[in-house]
Amino acid sequence: MGRRGPRRWQALLWLGPSLTLIAAVVVYPAIALVSASLSRYSITGVYQGSVGTRNYARLLEQQALPAVVANTAVWVTAVVAVTILISLALAQLLNERFPGRRLVRWALIVPWAASLIVTAKLFAWIYDYYFGILNRALISLHVIAEPIDWLGDDATVMGAMIAVGIFVSLPFTTYVLLAGLQAIPGEVYEAARVDGASGWRRYRSVTLPLLRPALLVATVLNVIYVFNSFPIVWTLNDRNPGFAHDTMITYMYKIAFKSALRDVGLAGALGVVNVLVILLAVVVYLSTVTWREAEA
Amino acid sequence: MTWRAMALLAVGAVATVLLNACDRRPDAPRTGAGAEPSITVVIAEYSKDHTRPFWQALSEQYTKQSGVKVDLRVVDWNSIDQQVSTMVQNNRAPDVLNLNAFASYAKDGLLYAADEALSPKTRDDFLEAFVRGGEYRGKLHGFPILSSARAFFYNKDLFAKAGIAAPPKTWDDFTRAARKIQALGAGTIGYALPLGPEEAQAEWAVWMWNNGGDWKSGDAWAINSDRNVQTLRFLADLANRHKLTQVNPGKTNRTDGAFQLFKDGKVGMVMGFSPLAAQLDAEGKVSYGVAEMPTNVGQAVTLGVEDYLMAFRKPGNQQAVKGFLDLYYQPEHITRWISAEGFLPVTKSGLAQMASNPKLKPYLDALPNARLAPTTDPAWDRVKLDVQQTLGLAVQPGGNPKQVLDQLQKNALAAASGR
Repeated sequence: MGRRGPRRWQALLWLGPSLTLIAAVVVYPAIALVSASLSRYSITGVYQGSVGTRNYARLLEQQALPAVVANTAVWVTAVVAVTILISLALAQLLNERFPGRRLVRWALIVPWAASLIVTAKLFAWIYDYYFGILNRALISLHVIAEPIDWLGDDATVMGAMIAVGIFVSLPFTTYVLLAGLQAIPGEVYEAARVDGASGWRRYRSVTLPLLRPALLVATVLNVIYVFNSFPIVWTLNDRNPGFAHDTMITYMYKIAFKSALRDVGLAGALGVVNVLVILLAVVVYLSTVTWREAEA
Repeated sequence: MTWRAMALLAVGAVATVLLNACDRRPDAPRTGAGAEPSITVVIAEYSKDHTRPFWQALSEQYTKQSGVKVDLRVVDWNSIDQQVSTMVQNNRAPDVLNLNAFASYAKDGLLYAADEALSPKTRDDFLEAFVRGGEYRGKLHGFPILSSARAFFYNKDLFAKAGIAAPPKTWDDFTRAARKIQALGAGTIGYALPLGPEEAQAEWAVWMWNNGGDWKSGDAWAINSDRNVQTLRFLADLANRHKLTQVNPGKTNRTDGAFQLFKDGKVGMVMGFSPLAAQLDAEGKVSYGVAEMPTNVGQAVTLGVEDYLMAFRKPGNQQAVKGFLDLYYQPEHITRWISAEGFLPVTKSGLAQMASNPKLKPYLDALPNARLAPTTDPAWDRVKLDVQQTLGLAVQPGGNPKQVLDQLQKNALAAASGR
């Protein structure tokens, strides 16, 4: 006991720089966010005093809120679910030996390495009604007869954004799952084969259960990234008036700076709600998954 | 576990206090012993090529002649509202700010008036219309930095192909011309109508005024007047009934959308301004003409846009700010910059100097009949955003122009009464 005291302080010394960094980039903004959510600001940003929890009550009165929450649920669920499914297949493919595998592995990193805003702008042009190559390709393949305004038509905007969301999430997810696959020892497969398990059976009974930790990490991190993703929705939705296709993140920004509300306090309240929602989602997900694990 | 949490909290608390302490540092020019005075100047980026070089050189010249350091920040239009709002929130307001709005800052008591921040000579050189556009409660607070005016652009080749002799003068002429161009087929579009969030209020204002409507009637907001409802129905019909515009005009922005289509030669007519002309000249792809706006009421009206320089009232910065502004407003500086950016003058000396430029003639001719948005009313700063986020919905299939304008009017009244 007597020796542990000073050691603690030594540890603190080593941890000091990173703790300071965490305090500066995590703790301080969090405190600032909460305090903003309890305050009233003029349109120019001048502090006009505390309003208690009134901003939270006003948030619930916003007519756009239900649609925005629904959009967020669709956006996160669709992007994460489809990303995981495709990544499972991609990871399996990249785990096999084939000529040019290294090249394919590198190529997969490209959408990850490119800036999200650049990628989103690029897709805005791909989707463009008049200049986009997507319409041209689909028409020449006789999939559609008339061009579609992918980013202007209310029926297609969300799908178009989700596709880009999946595209940029694939590299990270695939690599996490690939690492998981490579960690599965070959003996397990050998044993399964000796027992006469078919390929599909081996995948279901050996690969998937042993991939669970990697799947867990990939899902949780993706839920957080995708929920917080701003550039894709912002860029692809910038032509649409109103809030019909916003997620809670872009809606927060619009409340603060782009809507008639122009209210930093109200946006702060939504910011706090956003953090709580994502925390809650992750906790619920982790607890159901571990519960199923215990049952299995 | 607990000691770790406690240590983290302790470090966090210390860092927070430290950061807060930095934040609350006095933001007046530090004139104390040893420290040189300095001012923060925030300028919106009008172009990559000209904005920063000009203001950088001006700042350096000012530092050399006065000893006041200039912390120059050139900020793009997309994020300037956010950045300035954050600066004000953190008690670090700039000393000089360039923006397209000023009245809310004046209302919040953040600004010097002209008699405090400009020399009389500078003040007297401003064109009267722009002085009126910068007044809050009878005093000039938003100093004109530059101006622009919209004009009607048409594609000469498409006009010739469609057999249209001259640019349309009336709305009937306009609809007929749009129909003829649309009838050329092969993807040609009569008129590119951008009512998406980027600049819906500008496009709308020009159509509104050319039908005899206005934002206000006297001092009261009148956004949902019968005239205005009629105008918005006209635009909605243009899009949905006659189909003479590009697809989804309520969801088309100006820069990426309407201008892009016109630059590509797909569009017969569009409402442009001098920087569009500069781009068209540089690309040399489209042969275009510039004319007055078509009108439904006899006298064509166009939109003038005035952007502002503001001087923030902070202890001890008055002389430094005044010196900087007077340097910018010296005729050779302001006129050199406005010419380089392709905008229009706001001073008498600038007008005299630029009047001889044939390229600017259509815009300078339009300037006397140009009207400004009601930027002198602080409520406008909210109304503008509201129009940007909702007007486009009225011209979508199934949109309801009257309902959209009624809601805008209601919100404008709420904004005017201070929420």
